[in-house]
Amino acid sequence: MHFSKEVVKLRDVWVAYSGSDRPAMCNINLTVPLGKLVLITGPNGAGKTTLIETCLGLLKPYRGSAYLFGVDTRSWRIRHARRMCGFVPQDFMKPPFEAYTVRHVIRLGFAPYKSIFESLTEDEDRRIRRVSELLEIEDLLDRPIGTLSGGQQQRAVIARALVRKPRALFLDEPFSSLDREGRRLISRVVREYVRAEDASVIIVSHDVNPIIDYADIVVRMENGRIVSGEGYA
Amino acid sequence: MLEFLGLALLAAVLSGNLCGAIGFYVQRLRITTLSFSVAHAALAGASIGLILNFDPVYSAMIVAVASALILGMIFARIEYGRELISMAVFSASSAVAIFAIYMSNVRVLATASIAVVLWGSLLAITVEKLILLLLTLFMFILYIIAYRIQIDSMLYDVKMAEAEGVNVQMHMLIMLFFAGLIISSSLRLTGGFLVFTLLYNPVAASFQISRKAHLQLLASSILGAASASFGLLVSYTLDWPVGATIAIVSSIILLSAYMMKVLVEAFRRRCLSRP
Repeated sequence: MHFSKEVVKLRDVWVAYSGSDRPAMCNINLTVPLGKLVLITGPNGAGKTTLIETCLGLLKPYRGSAYLFGVDTRSWRIRHARRMCGFVPQDFMKPPFEAYTVRHVIRLGFAPYKSIFESLTEDEDRRIRRVSELLEIEDLLDRPIGTLSGGQQQRAVIARALVRKPRALFLDEPFSSLDREGRRLISRVVREYVRAEDASVIIVSHDVNPIIDYADIVVRMENGRIVSGEGYA
Repeated sequence: MLEFLGLALLAAVLSGNLCGAIGFYVQRLRITTLSFSVAHAALAGASIGLILNFDPVYSAMIVAVASALILGMIFARIEYGRELISMAVFSASSAVAIFAIYMSNVRVLATASIAVVLWGSLLAITVEKLILLLLTLFMFILYIIAYRIQIDSMLYDVKMAEAEGVNVQMHMLIMLFFAGLIISSSLRLTGGFLVFTLLYNPVAASFQISRKAHLQLLASSILGAASASFGLLVSYTLDWPVGATIAIVSSIILLSAYMMKVLVEAFRRRCLSRP
């Protein structure tokens, strides 16, 4: 299957939530090429999460077009484009009774690539160990994820996104539960990942400090509109 | 007589097991209201079978599976208003069921064919229906094993699974398809109005017993089988309607599991507060 080298392309995109009398995102134009680190920032309610979910096709525009790796997010082929992406949602926290181990949660990142009856390969297991060492969670692999702190859970979900070796990484508030050390670590890992894999990373964060120095493109949003950095113009 | 009871008991174990298992997935994937509509569509299908002089199990199966697939496809295309559509289908299905029973040639509510549709009947269990249940169980287990990692991914977090490229829509449709198949296969035992108690009570009880997903699935299947088989035996002994007896037994199991959890929690807290 042929995919475009533009990770994200949004053309005059408008998105609204049902029951709301105003659109959550208005007239958005944005292009993200491969190999770039993009920081999307803005105050609460600016439409940052809506933007990231629209890029992945989890939300569909009611006006305009959204493309992920050149695939229209309304098309059934969007599933194939998503397989080249990693995603860390804002609401990643699991309750204390969630019994999936960290190792299993990371393993689930391989689910879309598996055919029927296929189990994990040794190479994939090695990759899980390597990434968990990188994110300093190797001692937590056999712990139930629900028993971990917010910061530890966040690292586990980032590890799940990274083991997939995505061409595009979408991180929604990835520093929200991390301490200063954790922020520094994730910023470094993300930056090195962009360089090593020539991948794109799209980070949504209202706190710009940990990553702004490494960002190739900074997009600022307010009230559902891009106020600076529009179109990667 | 013993042979007939054995057949019914086996059907009860299989039905309960299947309902408990599908109930677990339906609950975890948050498609409970959708399955509620499918259960009532099965009831409408069975009642239509009465008018058309067609085996109610097969007509229930056709309508339940068709409604599950249609609703699943509609839900994949709309983001909001799903609950509303589910409730509309539930109400319409119930109305169709009552109209169909009213219009059928059966005049007395206690006749065997009506009993099968409304509150289940021991007499309705045949070898053919038992084979149907076995086939459904085999297909369901095969599906769960084949797509274990994808289903697990959805159980953990549907949004993440979808964003990563798991075919969430297809798996939701397959789950609904099995829900339709299992509900209509179990209709003969519990009746259309009570089939969903076997779908929801065992899984609710399993959530009181364990916090681990695989143990919840196991417990839900076992409790479903226990509710159906024990309910059937009580119904046979006391000459009670089988569907209602199964519903009572499953409710007692659910309440007992809840009470047990409350007691265990209280004991644990007491131990923790000791110096």
